[in-house]
Amino acid sequence: MAAGVAAAVRKARAARPGPATWFAVTVQAEPGELTGPDRPDALARLAETHEVRVTRAPGGRGSEIAVRAADGRTRQEVRAVKQLVETGEVLVVEGQPEGHRTMLGRAATPAFRHLTRRGPR
Amino acid sequence: MRALCWTGVNELAVEDVPEPRLLNRQDALVKVTASSVCGSDLHLLDGYVPTMMAGDVLGHEFVGEIVEVGPDVRERRAGERVTVCSIIGCGRCHYCREGLWSLCDNTNPNPGFLETLIGHATAGIFGYSHAMGGFAGSHAEYVRVPYADVNAFPVPDGVPDSSAVFASDAVPTGWMGADLGGVGPGDVVAVWGCGGVGQMAALASLRLGADRVIAIDRFPERLAMTAALGAETLDYREVDVLDALKELTGGRGPDVCIEAVGMESHGTGAQYAYDRAKQALRLQTDRGLSLRQAVHACRKGGTVSVLGVYLGLVDKFPMGAVMNKGLTLRGAQQHGHRYIPMILDRMSRGEIDASPLLTHPMSLEDGPKGYELFKEKREGCVRAVFHP
Repeated sequence: MAAGVAAAVRKARAARPGPATWFAVTVQAEPGELTGPDRPDALARLAETHEVRVTRAPGGRGSEIAVRAADGRTRQEVRAVKQLVETGEVLVVEGQPEGHRTMLGRAATPAFRHLTRRGPR
Repeated sequence: MRALCWTGVNELAVEDVPEPRLLNRQDALVKVTASSVCGSDLHLLDGYVPTMMAGDVLGHEFVGEIVEVGPDVRERRAGERVTVCSIIGCGRCHYCREGLWSLCDNTNPNPGFLETLIGHATAGIFGYSHAMGGFAGSHAEYVRVPYADVNAFPVPDGVPDSSAVFASDAVPTGWMGADLGGVGPGDVVAVWGCGGVGQMAALASLRLGADRVIAIDRFPERLAMTAALGAETLDYREVDVLDALKELTGGRGPDVCIEAVGMESHGTGAQYAYDRAKQALRLQTDRGLSLRQAVHACRKGGTVSVLGVYLGLVDKFPMGAVMNKGLTLRGAQQHGHRYIPMILDRMSRGEIDASPLLTHPMSLEDGPKGYELFKEKREGCVRAVFHP
């Protein structure tokens, strides 16, 4: 029984996505705009350090950009590429009005930002 | 400038905060002339949304005057009086192009929380927690509006702020509830909740040709206001809602059930006590009383349209009714951009007047009092609106 449980746990662990997982976004752009010499600089930089795959999205939804082994920061960069291509800018919220932050709030802000921005990974 | 800030669970304060500035090239700055409380703010106030930080500026339903635009703003200009949609869209992603603005891919700079909670991030919302982007809200003298060309809508002359302010959220949300339900001639529509959104859902259903609209609440003044729009009303403390709806619809049940209550639903009896206890113990995030009732009441093959805000998990959801009765379940934060131009046009022609919702005009300094009146439904408060 214990051995069975241990095997099941091993199997479940093995099935979990590892660091080689692809992170993908869909972008309203032709694949040629994302692969040719005029592709966005940020995408070219990503391709220097990561395996990047660009394919046509079904249903006229543009292209799919997939980046392998994307950590939190890389996922943020991929999203920024998408936003830049689609809207021409990357939206920022730092520098907005805010009231008094508590000491605890200020101390927790970096971890909080990390969690809300990049997720738990 | 002065701004109304969330400072803790059930705590608000008006504070001095820095004035906003243009942070992106497609931003505009708006001088706020009217900014409304909204029922969905109460979930923030009550501490059910875990990504609030003390010092966050509240407010998402507003009208004002553009005072500055960024260099890449093409359509809007300083001096224009605008209603700004509470939902922030980019106008260019697949979802915005399809008219599904609250599903915008690009306007939530903090996608991590929602991706973990619900699988995907949705659009940013003004003053509505860091999970929804962490945008400063409109209960302030000035507010920064991203992608101003698509999010700010010029208000026709002759439409007063008292009505135009609700073109930002309550009216388009209510309209969407009827639209998603496919309301049309011959339909009987039931609306749970006679707050601002519920009243506007009732009005939209009538404008879209519904034969009858039956609205459900417990506050006499809210029921009376909804009756004045042309709806029939049920006080759930006095009648068994399910029995009454069957009787009123020849045993069929309403064709479209619009739920405009959300995660802090009130009710009567054991089910209500159960929900309150489980939510208090954080064993469920959302109380689903009115949602369950809507699903139960809906006619076979009908549509349940969910406008009330739900955050996470509802316990004892009657999936068996959805499946076996062949129901269609719809829901969304408002795709306001789809409806706001039409709504402002109808307002200018006198077909929609949302100003009766504004029961309590107040100064921004009275913000905490306004929320207290609104939350406790005192003095007949349907909406407190702040004029900074």
